Amino acid sequence: MSNAEIRKTLVTSFALKNTYRVNTILYSLKQIPLIKRLFPAKIYGVPELKIFANILSVMWEISSVFLWKLLYFVTLVCGVGAVYTQLPSEGVFLHVILFLTVIGFIINTHLFNPTMDKYYAIVLLRMDAKQYTLTDYFYRLARDAVGFVTMTVIFGSINKVPLWICFIIPFSVAGGKIFCSAITLLDYEKRGKAYNENKLSKFVWIAVLILLAITYGLPALGYLIPKIAAMALLVAFIPLGLLGLKRVVTFHNYKEVNREILSQMLLQLDNAKEISKKSVEKIISKDTKISSSKKGFEYLNDLFIKRHRKILWKSTKFQALVLLILAVAAVISVSVIPELRADADYDKIISNMPYFVFIMYAINRGTGFTKALFMNCDHSLLTYSFFKKPDHILRLFAIRLREIIKVNLLPAAVLGGGLSAVFFLIGGTGKIFECALVFLSVVSLSVFFSVHYLTLYYLLQPYNPSTEIKSGTYSIIQFVTYLISFVMIYVKLPILVFGILCVAFCLIYCAVACALVYRFAPKTFRIRG
Amino acid sequence: MRFTVRNLTKSYDGKEVLKGINFTFEEGRIYGLLGRNGAGKTTFFNCINRDIKVDSGQFLIEDNGQSREIISTDVGYVLSTPTVPEFLTGREFLKFFIDINEKSITDIKTPDEYFDFVSIGEDDRDKLLKDYSHGMKNKMQMLINIIAKPNILLLDEPLTSLDVVVAEEMKQLLRSLKSGRITIFSTHILDLAIDLCDEIVLLSHGELESVEKNYADDKAFRETIIEALTEENNE
Repeated sequence: MSNAEIRKTLVTSFALKNTYRVNTILYSLKQIPLIKRLFPAKIYGVPELKIFANILSVMWEISSVFLWKLLYFVTLVCGVGAVYTQLPSEGVFLHVILFLTVIGFIINTHLFNPTMDKYYAIVLLRMDAKQYTLTDYFYRLARDAVGFVTMTVIFGSINKVPLWICFIIPFSVAGGKIFCSAITLLDYEKRGKAYNENKLSKFVWIAVLILLAITYGLPALGYLIPKIAAMALLVAFIPLGLLGLKRVVTFHNYKEVNREILSQMLLQLDNAKEISKKSVEKIISKDTKISSSKKGFEYLNDLFIKRHRKILWKSTKFQALVLLILAVAAVISVSVIPELRADADYDKIISNMPYFVFIMYAINRGTGFTKALFMNCDHSLLTYSFFKKPDHILRLFAIRLREIIKVNLLPAAVLGGGLSAVFFLIGGTGKIFECALVFLSVVSLSVFFSVHYLTLYYLLQPYNPSTEIKSGTYSIIQFVTYLISFVMIYVKLPILVFGILCVAFCLIYCAVACALVYRFAPKTFRIRG
Repeated sequence: MRFTVRNLTKSYDGKEVLKGINFTFEEGRIYGLLGRNGAGKTTFFNCINRDIKVDSGQFLIEDNGQSREIISTDVGYVLSTPTVPEFLTGREFLKFFIDINEKSITDIKTPDEYFDFVSIGEDDRDKLLKDYSHGMKNKMQMLINIIAKPNILLLDEPLTSLDVVVAEEMKQLLRSLKSGRITIFSTHILDLAIDLCDEIVLLSHGELESVEKNYADDKAFRETIIEALTEENNE
């Protein structure tokens, strides 16, 4: 390959990557609620917006060189490394980075990673496979090296690793990757089967798990690879890389290798969609004895609930049973061990009740219910006009609301009952009102989440006919719900405030939500186009 | 009975797809709706079925000299990809539909009579719909749409993906159902339209236009249709 060819391939692949990254940015802008109205329909043809998206795209290309590596060092290398306080930090740093690098040789090869970039360039645009693959490969190795050297110098210095080895590590990473890829190519020439790093065989998985155990397990037991050995291995990867370089550059069958792993990628993508649809269909009970004596919408609902027992009643009954066992154990412990009561700081413990917002969020069946409702029922019935009559939509909403509240109420009642019993034992008869509030707040939270998910479903109906979520607003509200529930873990409130707030919020929310559904659902409860 | 579409307009993102459609459909006839890809056939059906909001326009039924706006029970809409609630059996779906619509269905038959009518075998009637074949799902969807005897039956590419036997059964079914109602079906297959329809309607330039059916000269008739649809492309 001449320099001019390399330059041309590099420029083309950048332009290609940039084009769809820019389009992705513009597409995302059109998905954000409220803001999307500011943009014209032909957003992809507006020069100013294109320039703006291009700037973002270039900024991302540059910053991502460092961001991923920063994340890698903060979490996997130094984050976990900090756990081993008994061992010298320098030794831990070298040990962890050495073995993670070796794992990277197998699961982060760049060369055998089927990406959409490669699919567009090699399959759709018919670019020269070898030129494209090699240009892309060396570009990625170079990017890695720049990111690595920055981080090894920063984090290496913090961990008192000699500076020279910090400069060596990026080249070791590249060298090792090239050497392993060369061996993989050799294997391809012998067996004719391409390696796909996203579709690992059982043996490779086992190897990776063993290496992971060595990376993090050995230090936990107090063992590290000797510093000198780690450094020697890291240095040795460089000449090995030079050795492998020749094969990587002279290998001729990149087209075949890429076609094989790219077709596997496309198949995986197709299968993922199919599997997701099938997995929801699989929930439907095959029990032929299921029947119903009800009529009309009650009949439909009754059969739906019975045939979806697995994700509804069966699952909440199990939750309730576990909670019951925990509650009984707690009540017995507090009753028979007087120290537990004496030592417990009632006010302090009960002020942690906001934690249960998160727990109630986590055990609610609302999202599973609405997903199954859509996938197995509404996506088809919504295409029939009789189903979409306003009074029919609302009648079924009321039935479904009653049902999902019932399903969620069982574990909530057990949890609420158990908690108030424990607090009653600790606090005594003087606190009976507060204990009742504990019960009421847990029940209110359960009702709130049930109403919340079903209302969202009826007001935003986020799915399209291929059962993909197509509503930005829906996804954002789901995330905010999670975030608020999560933050509540850290909130401490007196039970009087929390309990009354919970009950009041739940009542107001239910009233508003139902009013909104009755007002808007006949229009909003539609399949997205 | 007549079904009149008056001044129907619909735009998407500033592009006018339907530009003031005015057309009257007559009872007892099958209309074949032809149009190029993207001409707005599905949009037209979705507007009649009130699946999407129209920008302007009226849909009127005239019966015995009286005119009124259409209501949802007037319309049956059979989609090209059949969709049926997977968790119900064929019989349960039928029972549910009849329960909900018992007031509007005249002369209710037994479920088995209905199944016989669309040739769904006895073994399949109590199977979950998720296990139905494509053709059986199609029949089921058709059945649900005709039980309530809607005045207007819309069919979007109804026979395209069916095997030859089911397609022939469906054709017979459509012919047997045409009296007393207006049947409009969209298709890309010209032969099918000529074979089954009493009248061909072209959707081009966002407007509906009837093509005189020339029985004497089939070839000339085809050429007229192709020419009319090609014009749109050459503009």
